[in-house]
Amino acid sequence: MEIPARQSLPAMKQAPSQQGRQKGDPAFRLLVTATGVGVLVVLGAIIAVMVSGGWKAFATFGPGFLVSAVWNPVTQHFGAAAPVFGTVISSALALLVAVPLAFGTAFWLTALAPPSAAAVIGMAVQLLAAVPSIIFGMWGFFVVVPVVAHYVQPAARQFLGHVPGLSALVAGAPFGTGLFTAALILAVMITPSITAVMRDVFLSMPTVLRESGYGLGATRWEVMRYVVLPWSRQGVVGGIVLGMGRAMGETMAVTFVIGDSNHIGWSLFAPANTIASLIALEFPESPAGSLKLASLMALGAILMAISFVTLWFSRWLLARGEQAAGR
Amino acid sequence: MSIEVPVKTAGMTQPDSAIAPKEAPHPVAMQVKGLNFYYGTSHALHDISLDFPERSVTGMIGPSGCGKSTLLRVLNRMYDLYPGQRATGEVIFDKQNILHSGVDLNVLRSRIGMVFQKPTPFPMSIYDNIAFGIRLHERVSRSEMDGRVEDALRRVALWSEVQDRLSASATALSGGQQQRLCIARTIAVRPEVILLDEPTSALDPVSTARIEELLDELKTEFTIAIVTHNMQQAARCADQVAFFYMGRLIEVDSTARMFTTPREQQTQDYITGRFG
Repeated sequence: MEIPARQSLPAMKQAPSQQGRQKGDPAFRLLVTATGVGVLVVLGAIIAVMVSGGWKAFATFGPGFLVSAVWNPVTQHFGAAAPVFGTVISSALALLVAVPLAFGTAFWLTALAPPSAAAVIGMAVQLLAAVPSIIFGMWGFFVVVPVVAHYVQPAARQFLGHVPGLSALVAGAPFGTGLFTAALILAVMITPSITAVMRDVFLSMPTVLRESGYGLGATRWEVMRYVVLPWSRQGVVGGIVLGMGRAMGETMAVTFVIGDSNHIGWSLFAPANTIASLIALEFPESPAGSLKLASLMALGAILMAISFVTLWFSRWLLARGEQAAGR
Repeated sequence: MSIEVPVKTAGMTQPDSAIAPKEAPHPVAMQVKGLNFYYGTSHALHDISLDFPERSVTGMIGPSGCGKSTLLRVLNRMYDLYPGQRATGEVIFDKQNILHSGVDLNVLRSRIGMVFQKPTPFPMSIYDNIAFGIRLHERVSRSEMDGRVEDALRRVALWSEVQDRLSASATALSGGQQQRLCIARTIAVRPEVILLDEPTSALDPVSTARIEELLDELKTEFTIAIVTHNMQQAARCADQVAFFYMGRLIEVDSTARMFTTPREQQTQDYITGRFG
């Protein structure tokens, strides 16, 4: 259809506003590019500050900083091994408890629960994920610590205390504080966030794919195991890494219950320390320029490095899994 | 506007011979009797009675929301996954009312397979997609499994296209190949009935034609129920056609009669494109 020339005039009149739109586009582009680059700048700056701040410690103790378990302000001797050990073990134990719980809850919420219950409990999970960590710390200190001291550790000692090889795991005085309690609190804290992520991933799966599994005569568990899980692997691992990151960096709640002892040992019930707790506890007593402050900064750098390695490792695992699946 | 609907018997000059059954009627594989279906309080299917003859294709047509897909989902109890959906009446399959609560759904669904609107390959290899369903129900040796997988892929004419990349991911196949894979996956379990819910609605015309050819071969062995929006497809593939409207079965008859001399005005209006 031909348009008479005169009719195109009104369109011409709109040109200024069109021009405004054209101008707005580059400006918006600049803005979002700046925020994107900003992420990189902030990350780089944090790494730079931690590494340069901790440089004195690395220079003084050399590689020994990583393997030494001594933390003695009096002799000015500092090592990272004890808090690194505490961080890794408490987080790993927390994941060991949290991942099956989160998976089970997410599975139940998405495949088995009646809709009304799924709505209420799904909401509760999200609320639990939003509880500030100080609350968990207080609850841990006033409720969990006494229970562990009076019931859990004595019971564990009774059952495992005489088993060769396992008795070391339950050795020590029943303080109630320590790795086990910290891991327990961490597990309670990260289970809701892992559950929330897993639930969302499971729900985002196309219904027909799930129904195809059922259509072949698969049970709910088989559909979960062979259809939903492989499909949502990326999201599930993402949720677990998220929880792990939170567990390793968690400061307040752990500080309440870890026991603040720079000590490496087999016992799950012995007081220990994590990087985040140690930094929080010692930072106020570390004068500027001191070797102790530098050691704390170096610990921060190590914590970041552990987080990055974990993230990278999970990505690598995923990529390898995809390759195995032929993608 | 009326549309020309090609019918299987086109070309036959005698209208009487066109509507007469060519052979003795097939025994009934599945029988729906007085079926009512509810989504919560909404009454979706009203008193449906319909026979599915063995080893033939039953086409189910009707405008969107008429209940044809709902009926399909009753036939393998897929609705059971969703609380609030319920069916009353009877669906007799192998002398048993499958709506009965004691029915083993996993066994039932292995005997009544289903293919969906969109291809739904599982996120695993082509081989495992086929083997998955077999493994659920049978213990077979590796070599027997290889044979079963090959057989299923051959029957959907996919073998020559994928035989040298069986371990590649099924999601890398084209849409038409994926849908044929899904059909292969369904028949690999050796069901008696196959339910197809608009199996070609997401496919291009060439892939659609291949699936339709496939149905013609599969019906020598399986009882097929196909829901379709495409009247030409129903005319091409089905032996009998059921027309649904607003949750009611308006009319069911042989394909030839349905598209030439329907008894009901509503059927006439729908197949000639006056509504729907």
